[in-house]
Formats: sequence, structure tokens, C-alpha cells
Amino acid sequence: MVRRQTFTLLIVTCIGHVLLVSAQVQSKSGLPVIQAAAFGTFARVQGLTGGVADTVQSIWNHYFALRGAAIENETLHRRILDLEADLQRQRALAGRAQSLEDTLGLKQSQPAPTLAARVIAGNPSPAVLTIMIDRGTDDGLRPNMAVVAAHGVVGRVIAPISRSAATVQLLVGRNAAAAVTFERSQAGGMVVGGLSPTVLRTEYVPALADIRAGERVTTSGQDGIFPAGFLVGTVDQVSHAGSAIDREITVRPAVDFSRIDMVLVVLTVPRAGGPS
Amino acid sequence: MRFGSILLTVAAALVIQMAIAQFTMGGRWIFDLVLVAVVLAGLEWGPPAGIMAGTIGGLSEDLLSGGVVGVGGLAKTLVGFAAGAIGSQFVLTTAPGRTLILAGASVVHRLLMLALFGVIDQQWPHVSWAAMLTETAINGFCGWMVFHGLNTLPGAMERRRGSRRVTRRP
Repeated sequence: MVRRQTFTLLIVTCIGHVLLVSAQVQSKSGLPVIQAAAFGTFARVQGLTGGVADTVQSIWNHYFALRGAAIENETLHRRILDLEADLQRQRALAGRAQSLEDTLGLKQSQPAPTLAARVIAGNPSPAVLTIMIDRGTDDGLRPNMAVVAAHGVVGRVIAPISRSAATVQLLVGRNAAAAVTFERSQAGGMVVGGLSPTVLRTEYVPALADIRAGERVTTSGQDGIFPAGFLVGTVDQVSHAGSAIDREITVRPAVDFSRIDMVLVVLTVPRAGGPS
Repeated sequence: MRFGSILLTVAAALVIQMAIAQFTMGGRWIFDLVLVAVVLAGLEWGPPAGIMAGTIGGLSEDLLSGGVVGVGGLAKTLVGFAAGAIGSQFVLTTAPGRTLILAGASVVHRLLMLALFGVIDQQWPHVSWAAMLTETAINGFCGWMVFHGLNTLPGAMERRRGSRRVTRRP
């Protein structure tokens, strides 16, 4: 039989947890000091662990897993040639656009500055979809800065942030959202995470907008966090539940969230207020 | 000594969990090595150890997750206590028996977490049964390796020492 003392310990511990949860849910303001301290300490440990893991992975990738590298190299050479040709075309178009801007006296548009960051850890709790990156307040990171990868939007910087590390909330995570534009129909809306790790839900899409599967979805910039024009994903499914107006649109993210090694933090200071 | 062992077990699980989680982000391969450590502590050292491991492991996870601190702590404390209580009632020394307890603990833990989030958010969250099954299977597999290792490693080392003694005799 379980002893009486053990039951007392269990009850006291559970009451402690409940009080702890209640205090946070009621207040919701600022970051608890204990949380910031724990994050700062663990970020250093994880930075070290991440470095060791990267070294092992690098040794494996560069010395042992080179099977098929020659074929891949050849394919990549061909791809580079194609891309160079594409680049030439794009440069020519950009030159023409520039001259048109100069002619019309339009204001020059500047690309947002970005900072590359390495993913050093995932989240210890499987239910929470966040990652830890090796850049922090020393590198100019602040909460709500947008984080993107080569293929599209990854998420945004959230607290806790230490001097050398920061937490990134993934777009597919619970409570994550971004204002978007459907590229073909030019309809606005919002994508919201939490449905599944590989699918985004949409909200506030005009009922009469002609949305079709396969349509590209990009950030609209209206949330004040994600700059306009970054790819979020493509429309996966438009399902009608009952009437034609009552529909559910799901978006498949452009980023494969199961393989994120490097990300870019958009260093534009976000406007006050956010989507979540 | 026991507190040190519990702390070491949970800390090791937490570090490995975070290191591996970065390669499996996106929820395709969900696992919870801290839960494995909590169940192991409960089965190995009894209910108080399960409660202690659950509290330490759960709170650490919560603090590092950036979510509501205490949710994981509460769920893991209850699971750690339950594992300890079952371990003290039945003699569970074999790896398969302990793995079965771990699999049950994984399901109970996930349901507890969903229920607590449901209470906080005032709405029942989306339940992915496939993800829950995957988590149970991966946790079970990791647990089986740990339990099997704990059962076989001391014996193997003893046998090795014994064979050395025999070979040294003239």
C-alpha cells in the first residue's frame, strides 16, 4: 500500500501546481523572472549540445554519407546553369523596373534586413511547437520579429529571449497566426495554427472570394509582424460545410517544419499589437 | 543519493529530448523522454520518487516551453505517482511489463495535458489520435531500451569482471 506521507506529498505538490497555473492564467502580464532565468541558463547548455550534435552530423554528412554525391553534384551544376539564366532575365526585368521607377519618381522600396540564425533546440514539450535559435538580444532580436526560412514563413520571435538565444513560435503552433493574401483571388484573411503540425486553418476570408486549391498564400503585412510578400503556403482544400458561404479553407505550409536547421530573422521592428 | 539519481535521470532526459526535438520539429515524430524518466523513477524508486521526478521534469519542461508553468508539472506528477504506486503493488522487473506501464502512462499523460489545456482555454483542443499513438509507440520503444539496458547491463558487467578473474588465475 502507498503510505500516508506519500499521499500528503502528492496532494501538496498538486495544490502547488494548481496555484502556480492559476496565478499565471489570471495575470498574463510580463514574463516571470524564474522563467527568464531558467531559459537563459538552459540556452547556454543547449547551445553547447547543439554544437556537439552539429559536429557529429557534419562529420557524418561530409565523410560517411557521400554516396551519390557525384550524381547530385552534376544535377546541381545543371540547376545552377538554369538559375543563372533565370537570374539574367530577372536582372533585366529589375533594370527595366528601376528605370521606370526613376522615370515616374516613385519612392524606392528597401528589402527588410535579415539575420541568419541556427536552430539549437526544439521544445521539450511535444505539444508546444517552438524552437530555440542561437541569436538573442545582443544581436538585436526583439519579441514579435518575423522568422522566415528559404521556402517561406517559419514563425515569430516570442519571449523568453536571452542575450544569446531566443524562442521562435512556429506558425503551425497553438495560438500562432498571420495576416495573409490569397495571390490569385487577392482576397485577404488570416492563417491560424493549432489544427495539425502540417496544416493551417484560415479565418476572416471574405465569404464571396473565389478561393481555389493550389492557390499561393503570402503574408499581407497587415498584422504588423510579418512583412508583406513572404510565402506562407498553398491552399490545400476548400470544403463546404452545408451552405456555399460556410466553408473551411486549409493551407499547406511551404516550410517543412520537421526539418529546420537555419532560419532568417527579419530585423524590422514590429508595429504594436499582433495577431495573437 | 536517491534525489541525486532522480535529478540526474530527469536532467539527462531533458537535455536529450531538447537536442533530438530540434530534428523532429513539426510533430511527425512526437516523443517525451522526460516522461520516460519520470515513469522510470516511479517504478525504480517508488511513488515519492515518481512525484519528485514528475514535479522537477514537468516544471523544467514548462519553464523551457514558454507556456503556462505548472500544466506539465501537474500532469507528470500524477503520472509519476501512478507509476510508482503500480510499481510498488506489482513486482515489475522485466522490460516488457515496465514498457506496458509506460505506454499506459503516455496515453494518460497526453489526455491529462489536453484536459488541462481545455480547462485553461475554455475549449476542448484538437485531439490527434494518430499523434498520440505515435508518441506512445516511440516512448514505449525508448523505455523498452532503457529498461532492458538497466536489467542486462549490471549482469553483463559482473560476468565480464568474473571472466577476467578466472583468466588471471594461474
